[in-house]
Amino acid sequence: MRSIQTQHLFPLSAVKPLDGLLNYRAFCLAATRKALAGCTHRLERSWSSAVRLEPCGALEGLAYVRDPEHGGLFLADRSEPAPWGRLLSEVNRHRHSPAAFHAGLTQSRVDHVYAPKLEWIEDALRLQEIPQTSIMEVVTAPSDFTEFLTESRSFSEVLTVDETELATDRADGSGGPQVGAAVLLESLDRALDPAALLRGVVNRVEEGGLVFVTALVSSGFDMTVLGLRNLYLTPPDRANCFSLHGLTALLRQSGLSPLEVSTPGVLDVEIVRAHVQHDPSLPLSAFERQLVDADGETHEVFQTFLQQRGLSSFARIVTRKQR
Amino acid sequence: MHCLIFGFGYMGKIRYDVLRRHPAVRKITVVDPALDPSAEGLRGALLEPGAPVPWATVDAAFICTPNNVTADLCVEAIARCGRVFCEKPPGRNWEDFCRIAEAAARTPRHTLMFGFNHRLHPSVQSAKALLSDGKLGDVLYVKGTYGKSGGIRHRQNWRSNPVVAGGGILLDQGVHMLDLFQLFLGPLALVEAVLTDAFWGSGLEDNAFILLRSARGAPAFLHSSATLWKHTFRFEIGCRDGYLIGSGLLSKTGSYGREQLVIGKRQFEDEALALGNPREEIIHFDRDESWEKEVNEFLGAVQEGQPAAHGTLDDARLVMEVIRDVYALAERQPMVRSAT
Repeated sequence: MRSIQTQHLFPLSAVKPLDGLLNYRAFCLAATRKALAGCTHRLERSWSSAVRLEPCGALEGLAYVRDPEHGGLFLADRSEPAPWGRLLSEVNRHRHSPAAFHAGLTQSRVDHVYAPKLEWIEDALRLQEIPQTSIMEVVTAPSDFTEFLTESRSFSEVLTVDETELATDRADGSGGPQVGAAVLLESLDRALDPAALLRGVVNRVEEGGLVFVTALVSSGFDMTVLGLRNLYLTPPDRANCFSLHGLTALLRQSGLSPLEVSTPGVLDVEIVRAHVQHDPSLPLSAFERQLVDADGETHEVFQTFLQQRGLSSFARIVTRKQR
Repeated sequence: MHCLIFGFGYMGKIRYDVLRRHPAVRKITVVDPALDPSAEGLRGALLEPGAPVPWATVDAAFICTPNNVTADLCVEAIARCGRVFCEKPPGRNWEDFCRIAEAAARTPRHTLMFGFNHRLHPSVQSAKALLSDGKLGDVLYVKGTYGKSGGIRHRQNWRSNPVVAGGGILLDQGVHMLDLFQLFLGPLALVEAVLTDAFWGSGLEDNAFILLRSARGAPAFLHSSATLWKHTFRFEIGCRDGYLIGSGLLSKTGSYGREQLVIGKRQFEDEALALGNPREEIIHFDRDESWEKEVNEFLGAVQEGQPAAHGTLDDARLVMEVIRDVYALAERQPMVRSAT
């Protein structure tokens, strides 16, 4: 197995500025509350460890539960698939509207979010010597990444598949054509049932095919320091926040063998610093405060350490469907 | 399969462990007259002293001995069994290698593989895959450093005995890096070499600086050393559109550091914030399966009656030709010797 460290550095403001996030977050929280109104289904057991989940607090009225064994954080209340799918669509539409911060950062997000992800996928396929394969993007449409996949010459075919529908596909793989690779960019973070979604994905991927996953992980630095205070932990986008260990365990249980498990995030320290600037009363330890107040070189070295040791909160995983 | 291992030193033990886990291997016989059967925990695998080698039942032979007996055993095993895995180096010198090659030529349908396992290390395999699709452009040059410190018993080791070893650090360890150079660049011709025996004073080179050139004109430079107090394995491949830097080596002791591959893209001022400091990705590896892959490949070839796909006689010939030329050149030049 391998892990990847990156020197592709960029500021938080280039991809997801905290001040711009706040309005988007408020919209997401309101939409989630509405979608869950009257909902009686509550998560009981962890998908990765199967242990009973424990209450760990609420995020502006939305309860989260914690996996005591693997450490993941999960939105406690769950709706039926159809309203959840509508919620994801509503939030996605808002994200693509001029009202969301994403609109003003289009080119920057192309450079720092989508282009590196495409390069990662292309490089992994080259390293595994899988040329010109079909790829399935698992997403709530429309996706900004679709265009990158279709314009790349690395794929024989690009399919875009709705993540909510895929999670309810029949288990015999008859829900559509088989593909050589699948990509889930933070899709497991927002899935109503990540295990079901992975079953749907695995059914559609050929034996030996690759599955690419990115996710925010609770074991990363900024998530560990901030917990539920992390403003980037917002449902429905982050209804699930697995730990890196929990996520890889779930992937293995789904019949996927990890080839690469990396946390090449570059923003952990900056995210904590932005939170402190936003709310100086945040309860940080003396060490955390000292780190946040340190110079840029210290931040860079510490972030490199987080990358190298799997301790950043941005996870990137390549798996292979077992033969 | 019944596998025979000649020599139960460092490499013989590694092969024994891998063969024990291989599903097709039913029996292993170890031949090593220097071993105390009770001390090594071989569970009856060790051939009794004086007992004949059971060639009639052997499916494959592994030659894991000191260099001075490698060629003799290899020639005999090719003739008797025809399916031979031989540790590097392929003999002490060019003459030893030629004897092995002649034995192979006399034996139709043989399977002969040499232990160039570094080709199967994850950093090397990844580098090869990234070069193969041409996205980094043509290779401009390759540089490699491979060295160890020797240790306090270095002078007593058979590797420091010219009669037994046949060559110094270049033949012992540099041979791996030369094999990688050939993997990346194809056949190489010697341009210049400087050998020194400035520290260990064993009469063999403890440092070798070798300049080579590929058929397409790309230069390659090797520093092979027995005086690198910090163990080092590092290769750099400069390409038109980027570069690869492999360093560290997953090994039993971990003394070469974490194995990793840096992938850099050429970026001038129009693409990068700082000229000469392009964006890099670093792949860290945590599992060395090179031993298993090598043995699996060899036994797979044996089972199918096919020649090996790598570590072949031709691969061995290419590195031994370079080493032959280096030692020939060194004979014409005075080597810096240790004062001790």
